Amino acid sequence: MDRRSFIKLTAITGTSATLASCGNPENALIRFVPDDEIVPGIAVWKPSVCPLCSAGCGLTVRVMDADAEVVRNGQAGVVRIAAAKKLEGGPLHPISQGGLCARGQAAIQVTYHPDRITQPLKRSGTRGDGQYEAITWDAAIAELLSRLDALAAAGNQKALAFATRAGSSHRHALVDQFLARFGAPGPVSFELFGDQVLRRANALSFGREQLPTFDLPNARMAISFGADFLGTWNSPVAQAAGYGQMRKGRPGIRGAFVQVEARMSQTGANADEWVPATPGTEGVLALGLAHAILAANLRPAAAAGRAGTQIDGWAAGLADYAPAAVEKVTGVAASRIERIARDLAERSPAVAMVGGAPLAHTNGLFTALAVNALNALLGSVEQPGGLFFTPRITLADGAAAPAAPSIEQLASGILGGSNAVQVLLVDGSNPVFTTPTAWKVSEALAKIPFIASFGSFLDETSGMADLILPDHSFLESWIEAVPESGSIAAVASVAPPVMRPLHQTRAMPDVLLDVSRRLATPVALPWETFDQMVGATFMKLAPAAAGGDAWGDAQAQGAWSGALPAGLASPPSVTEETPQPVPEPRFDGDAAQYPFHFLPYPSSAFLDGSLAHLPWLQEMPDPITSAMWSSWVEINNTTAERLGIAQGDIIEITSTQGTLRAPAYVSPGLAPDIVAMPVGQGHRMFTRYATGRGQNPVSLIAPLTEASTGAVAWAATRVKIARVGGPDGSLIMFAGGDREHPYEDLGRG
Amino acid sequence: MPHRWGMAADLDRCNGCGACVVACAAENNISTVGAEQAALGRAKHWIRVERYWEGEFPDVRLKFRPVMCQQCDNAPCEPVCPTYASHHTDDGLNAQVYNRCIGTRYCANACPYNVRFFDFFNPSWEKPLQLQLNPDVSLREVGVMEKCTFCVQRIKAVTVQVAAEDRELKDGEITPACVQSCAAKALVFGDLNDPESEVSRLSHSPRGSKLLEDLGTLPKVTYLPRDTEA
Repeated sequence: MDRRSFIKLTAITGTSATLASCGNPENALIRFVPDDEIVPGIAVWKPSVCPLCSAGCGLTVRVMDADAEVVRNGQAGVVRIAAAKKLEGGPLHPISQGGLCARGQAAIQVTYHPDRITQPLKRSGTRGDGQYEAITWDAAIAELLSRLDALAAAGNQKALAFATRAGSSHRHALVDQFLARFGAPGPVSFELFGDQVLRRANALSFGREQLPTFDLPNARMAISFGADFLGTWNSPVAQAAGYGQMRKGRPGIRGAFVQVEARMSQTGANADEWVPATPGTEGVLALGLAHAILAANLRPAAAAGRAGTQIDGWAAGLADYAPAAVEKVTGVAASRIERIARDLAERSPAVAMVGGAPLAHTNGLFTALAVNALNALLGSVEQPGGLFFTPRITLADGAAAPAAPSIEQLASGILGGSNAVQVLLVDGSNPVFTTPTAWKVSEALAKIPFIASFGSFLDETSGMADLILPDHSFLESWIEAVPESGSIAAVASVAPPVMRPLHQTRAMPDVLLDVSRRLATPVALPWETFDQMVGATFMKLAPAAAGGDAWGDAQAQGAWSGALPAGLASPPSVTEETPQPVPEPRFDGDAAQYPFHFLPYPSSAFLDGSLAHLPWLQEMPDPITSAMWSSWVEINNTTAERLGIAQGDIIEITSTQGTLRAPAYVSPGLAPDIVAMPVGQGHRMFTRYATGRGQNPVSLIAPLTEASTGAVAWAATRVKIARVGGPDGSLIMFAGGDREHPYEDLGRG
Repeated sequence: MPHRWGMAADLDRCNGCGACVVACAAENNISTVGAEQAALGRAKHWIRVERYWEGEFPDVRLKFRPVMCQQCDNAPCEPVCPTYASHHTDDGLNAQVYNRCIGTRYCANACPYNVRFFDFFNPSWEKPLQLQLNPDVSLREVGVMEKCTFCVQRIKAVTVQVAAEDRELKDGEITPACVQSCAAKALVFGDLNDPESEVSRLSHSPRGSKLLEDLGTLPKVTYLPRDTEA
């Protein structure tokens, strides 16, 4: 420390330090001694892992010196720290390959957010009003221990529930191991835009219960059924990199791209051919394409193997799916079906993708199995230019916890009295915001006697907690992910902390390990610290060079990638079950009374709303509408004209579940019988940037589910709309116009 | 020979994701203005992804185009500036000297690309968001015009390093934040005076065109259109 910063420190902290520590000011000052490894003005780059979605992109973080105001044991001071300055895609990372999406760029604001929870909190007001008082970590952990000990003493370990986000990581494995050994059911994970239906279909068709990886750089044609693979779905950065290669990476070869969807997504906007199909009939269209390929003898039915056997009538050439019949159901012309089918067969290798709204119908499994069979017929499974399954790494050896109920079952069990959950722990999940109102998750949580959250922010769910044990941010702790997809070779991302914690927070995995040891009847987990657990996996992996060190190399590069040693690879999933998928979708709401399909979709900026607290993302113009800080409802321009609705007019949308009002965005990019709305805004409680802003379309979603997985059929709700007023200024757009030559067009017209 | 910085945007690779928009805000300390000011048209995005609809449902198309300062060789923003805040550098950049700027906004009026943004307020970052600020980029105060610089701080850092090491600049060694972030590699930056550079090659592509070329502004950003052949 130089003389100047010593004087600055003592000026700020001297008085209070002297008073508070009774004659030993040096004891207080010692906490403010700066990091010594940072040279002022010199940037160093350190690896990290983006935590915002389950893609698991590798980062490289620019770290420089900065003066941070910190509080240590109640004393404020300024300390020079090594601070993260910018996040970029890890150049050597197998998933991100140097790129990073808009959301990943903004992840740094999670760490520096002004409304981050800076220390343990205990509820002081009534539940849900957001009133908390600060407590010490000792008191917070003692409180959690007493609750868990009480469960164990009563032999009621089953009454512990743990809500997490879906994902694949050591963090999830640790939670699962803790619950298994404590005697509780496994973690309850819920993702509104989760991919359970596709995973189940892949298990049935290919024996792999996971999301696929697409070899776009080698594909000559791609057809996507509703998958927003360049925006929000699966592994968007890896897929965008592959897409760039597919289009322009090979001299003389430009991969063709067809998108099937009823509302033009950011991904669909890039398609050579955009095919709007009637919602819920995408699977029929896929089988229509397969029929046309089979009928023209371009591929034999037997080529589809196991995936073909999942489809009724496959071996007989799909007699029910002749183009004329498919045209009636899907609204896509028979001649177009035949042409696209021929293209797919001739432009080999071609690959089909499915995700998003087509799988969010009650017949989602049928649709996914149909697209899988089409892929198998095209010969694209685990072939160059096709789809692959990233080899999975076994993360922990112990027996897994018994399967948990779904969040829907949990809520109905609590309200019905059959599941007396006593303690709920919440990590990174906000089911109150993202579940259909009819599931009554909020009401169910209100009945749980004790809720503790590890969250960094107060949101609709953590705001119901009695105790908050705030986690470090990803830049302040060990961070890792074991991506399920995005790379053809096995990959595991890991990085040590980039910077010292800003606040009085603790890493959630280490808190869990600490708690497991300090219970009255300790839960035996074989790791002292979380990094030990992560390291144990990496040390079993093969180093890149003989005599190398896989663990050390992975920390330096942010990832390990390569061939898995035999013992570490997860075996293919065996599914004996043969469900009877139903081709016809069901919808909530009578078509006469509710004439429009309602299509909520993950917003480019906020996904399911978990990122609405980041100001950069609030102010980023939406790719389709250029809207910022807003909610909006997309409506077809001819429909709008018929109903007298103009841009920005306030319209009321009503489903059987409820009503909301939002401004209209009038667009030619969706079918006349659809209204679409991005999910993400409408938070009742989620920091100063998101609270009370816009509307949450999830409140309109009917509780229909896909039968075999219980996944929400979020695209299966019908609504009615009415104009209720003129623009109120709540639709804020960055762009001035929607057409490039409006005046010339007017002149010609 | 001095460098002459230019960029190319391949619209066949660009998918409109907006990563470049946030990357630019992060690199260049662009402050968010909030909902109320954004509604007044005061949001600042040095790079934006323009999107324009064509046709009607179902034969509808949406075209994306990332637009930033085109670093014109014949820049309409420069001669109108009474204080030489907006001026041309030896390596062809339209530089903006913030502490010369007196906020006449003549340059923004003259610019046909709408890429200049006026600071109606002093920037503010609610603590501790100020820790994300890039110390290499100055903060703009109220009354100043700001715009894309091609990340001049990154250009400087690399050219100084190259000079210190007494070697030639390698193509691709300098990446502005938008170029760096682009997963699809739609944006390419480099020296137009180096005939071997990727950006030179793309700038001379028969597919290439300049934005509002007929105005005679001589932009240094080349756009390669999306192929329509399926």
